[in-house]
Amino acid sequence: MARYIEKVTRFYKIIKENGGIMGSVRQLFWTDELKTGTLVGVDEDGNKYYQNNMYFMGRSRWVQYSPKYGFDYDGSQVPPEWHRWLSYISDEPPTVAKLPKRPWMAKHTENPSGTPDEYVPYSTTRPKIEAWQPPVQK
Amino acid sequence: MLRLWPLRQAVSAAGLRLMPVACNKSTAAQPAPELVEVFVNDKQVFVEPGTTVLQACAAAGVEIPRFCYHDRLSIAGNCRMCLVEVERSPKPVASCAMPVMKGMKVKTDSPMTKKAREGVMEFLLMNHPLDCPICDQGGECDLQDQSMNFGSDRSRFTDNAFAGKRAVEDKNVGPLIKTIMTRCIHCTRCIRFASEVAGVEDLGTTGRGNEMQVGTYVEKMFKSELSGNIIDLCPVGALTSKPYAFTTRPWETRKIESIDVMDALGSNIVVSMRTNEVMRILPRMNEEVNEEWISDKTRFAYDGLKRQRLTTPFVKNQDGQLVQCDWETAFMAIVQRLGSVEGNQIGAVAGGLVDAEALTALKDLLNRLGCENLCTEESFPMDGAGTDLRSNYLLNSTIAGVEEADVLLLVGTNPRFEAPVFNARIRKSWIHNDLRVALLGAPVDLTYEYDHLGDSTAELQELASGSHPFSKVLQSAKRPMVVVGSSALQRSDGAALLSTVSTLANGLHTKSGADKEWRVLNVLQRVASQAAALDLGYKAGVSAILETKPQVLYLLGADEGAVDREDLPEDAFIIYQGHHGDLGAQMADVILPGAAYTEKDGTYVNTEGRAQLTRQAVTPPGMARNDWKIIRALSELLGTTLPFDKLQGLRQRMGEISPTLVRVGRAEQANFFQQAVKAEKSGGVVLSKDPLIPPQQTLKDFYMTDSISRASPTMAKCVQAATEAETAKY
Repeated sequence: MARYIEKVTRFYKIIKENGGIMGSVRQLFWTDELKTGTLVGVDEDGNKYYQNNMYFMGRSRWVQYSPKYGFDYDGSQVPPEWHRWLSYISDEPPTVAKLPKRPWMAKHTENPSGTPDEYVPYSTTRPKIEAWQPPVQK
Repeated sequence: MLRLWPLRQAVSAAGLRLMPVACNKSTAAQPAPELVEVFVNDKQVFVEPGTTVLQACAAAGVEIPRFCYHDRLSIAGNCRMCLVEVERSPKPVASCAMPVMKGMKVKTDSPMTKKAREGVMEFLLMNHPLDCPICDQGGECDLQDQSMNFGSDRSRFTDNAFAGKRAVEDKNVGPLIKTIMTRCIHCTRCIRFASEVAGVEDLGTTGRGNEMQVGTYVEKMFKSELSGNIIDLCPVGALTSKPYAFTTRPWETRKIESIDVMDALGSNIVVSMRTNEVMRILPRMNEEVNEEWISDKTRFAYDGLKRQRLTTPFVKNQDGQLVQCDWETAFMAIVQRLGSVEGNQIGAVAGGLVDAEALTALKDLLNRLGCENLCTEESFPMDGAGTDLRSNYLLNSTIAGVEEADVLLLVGTNPRFEAPVFNARIRKSWIHNDLRVALLGAPVDLTYEYDHLGDSTAELQELASGSHPFSKVLQSAKRPMVVVGSSALQRSDGAALLSTVSTLANGLHTKSGADKEWRVLNVLQRVASQAAALDLGYKAGVSAILETKPQVLYLLGADEGAVDREDLPEDAFIIYQGHHGDLGAQMADVILPGAAYTEKDGTYVNTEGRAQLTRQAVTPPGMARNDWKIIRALSELLGTTLPFDKLQGLRQRMGEISPTLVRVGRAEQANFFQQAVKAEKSGGVVLSKDPLIPPQQTLKDFYMTDSISRASPTMAKCVQAATEAETAKY
C-alpha cells in the first residue's frame, strides 16, 4: 500500500515542481518528459542542471535548456565543463570541482551546422562553367 | 564503326541500301536488274549484281568483321579482316572487295574462316601496342571488340630479339586531331575520307609492308572543315580527339540525341554528357541531312558552352554598371519599362541560335503588347513576295536532292564553309553522278572542280536572259539546281538578286522538262533559327528596327551587332536574353540568362524546312532557364499571360501558326515558285555592280561565326592554326 502512496505522492511532487498542471503540460510538450530532481547548477546561458539518483545511471543527470532557446535546443548548447559532468566523466559538478580557467580558453559556442553561420570549406576545383563578367564602366 | 552496326543492319534489312556510294547512281527510274542468288551459311539471299560478298552477308544477317571497309568510302581491301571461305575457292577471299557471283556459297563461320580471322588478328596485334588502358578509343575500339569476338585467345608473339614492337612517330596535324601513330593498323580509312569526302589530298602513306606509315608527308595541318570525322572513322585509337583526350570513357557518358545549330543544316548529333557537362559531340546518322558526317565547328565548339556563360540575371544600376541580381529584380525592371511604353515603341531582334519555341513565345507576347516589330538578325529581301512564300527562303530541293541534280549553279555562296556537310554532298554527287557545278561569285576552293562564271551581277543577268555561254549547259540540264547564298541576299540589292535568280530558276524549270516535283530555286541559309523565324512571321533583317527606333529593344540571342545602341534613342532600354555574354549582352540594360541548344528541348528548322528537335542533355548553368519559360514568366508579370504553361501547349500553338514546325523530321515541300516570280516583278531595285563575295572565304573564317564558337578556346586555336597554315611553306 505504501508503495502506491509513494507513487501518488511523487506524481503530485513532479506536477508541483514543474509548475502545476499547465506548467507540466507545457514541459511535457517541450521536452516529452516530466522529472523531479535537485538543481545542481545553472550555466552562463541559463541552462539548468539537475540530478536525481533515484533514476538509473544515464538518466540521473539532465539538463533543462534555457527557455531562450525555445524549441531549438541542442546538445552543443551545453558548455564543456557541464558536458563533463552530464556525461559522467566527473563525479563532481563544475560548481563544486571548479575547473581552472585559462586565458586561452575560448568562450563556448554552439554548433552552427545547418545555420547560415555554418562553416563551408571553399572549393579548390575550377568551376565547370565560366560565367561572363560584364565589362567595368569607366 | 562497330557501334553503328545494328543501325546498318536495320538499313540493309529495309531493302539492301548498303550499296557502295560508287554504285549509288541517280535514282531515276531504271529497269530492276536481275537479282543474283547467293548462299550465306546455306541461307539463300537474293542481291543485286555488283554487290560485294560482305554486303550479301549483311543482307543475310551475318556481320563480317572489318577494319578498312566503310560503306561511304571506296573499297580498299587491305586489312584482310573480312576474309571468308567461299566454296570452290582455294583461298579465303576478302569479302569487302569480292563481287557476288551466281550461286556463290559463302561460309562465314567455317574453320577456314575462323583460322584466317585469327591469323589476321594476330598479325595486327603483333604490331599494335598494348596500351588500351591509356587509349582514348578504349571501350569503342573496333580492334578491341573484334579481337574479343574473332581473335585467338593466345598470342604467339615473343620479342625474341628484344627489338620492341613497331613504333611510329606521332604526327601533328592541327589542334583538333591527336595522333598516336603506333596504334595505326593501316586501314587507310582516314586517307580515303580525306581524298573522297573532304576533298583534301593531305593524307597518304609512305613506305610499305611493316614500314608503312600514314601521315601528311610533311608536317602540316590537316586543313579541312570536316577533319573531325576521321576520328570516328579510325577503327583504333590512332586518331583521337585532342580536346576530348583523357576526359571520359564511353561507358561513363550518357548519350542524348540532338540537333546541331552551328549552321543551318541541322546536322543530327549525339551529345555525350557526364556529370552535367557536355563531354563531346558525335554525329548521328541521318541519310537525308548529314549522312554520318559533321563539321568541325559542330563537333568541337562544345567547349564554348562552358565559357562566357550568362548564369545570373543582370540589371544596370545607377552608375550604368551591370550587376548580378535575382530573377524578380530583373523582371520588375523590365515590367516597369515595358509597361510605360506603347506597343509600337517596342522592337525585338532574334539571333541565329534561337529555338522555335522561344521565337513563338516572344512573338506571341509582344504581339499581345501591340508590337509588330519582330525581326531576325539575319536579313533577307522582304520586297515582292519576300518571306511570305516559304519557297523563297528554303533549300527547296533538299540536301539529299543534290544527288539527283545534274547541273548545279551556286550564286554568291561558299557552301564549303557555310554548310560543310552540304558541300560534302555536292562533292559526292560531283564524283559519283557527274554533277556539273558552276559558281557565280568570288572564286573559292570548294574541294571540287567548277565552272567559274565570274563574280559580278552582270553575269547573273546574262544567265537569266540566256545570253551567257554557260546558259546552254544550264538549259540542257535535266535536273538543274540553283543555290543562292543567304549572305548574297543581304546586300542592298538583295531583292533584285533574288528576283533575278528566281526568274532564272523558273525559266530553267520549264526548259529542263523536269517533273513538277523537282525544285530548282534554293536558298542556303547560314543560321539555324532563320527558317523557323521566317515561318513564324518574323521580319527578316533589322531595317524595321532602324527605322522605327523603338524605346525598348528585346534581343533574343542577337549577338551579331546588327543593331547598335547608336541606332536607338538615347534613353532606349535594351533587354538581352541569351546564353552567352557577347555583343548583345554588352549593350543590354537587363540580361536574362537563357539556355544553349544542349540545355533545352527545342525545335529548329533547317535550311530545307525540316523541323528537328534538340533534346536537353545538361541543365542550364546557374540561374539560367529555358528561353520560352522566361518569356512565359515575363508575360505573367506584364499581365498578358501567354496561354501555355507546358511545352506541349506551346508546341500546339506552334502547330497553329505553321504545321511544318511540329512535323518533326519531315521536310515539307514548298510551292508557289511562279507566284513568287510574279510578285517580285513589282519590285524596282536594280542590281548593283559590286562583286558577289561570300563572307567566309578561307578556312580561318569558318571556325568562329556565332556566340558559342566565339567563346570556344578550341575554335580560337583552330583559327590560329589555320592562319598560320596559310603562310606555311607546304
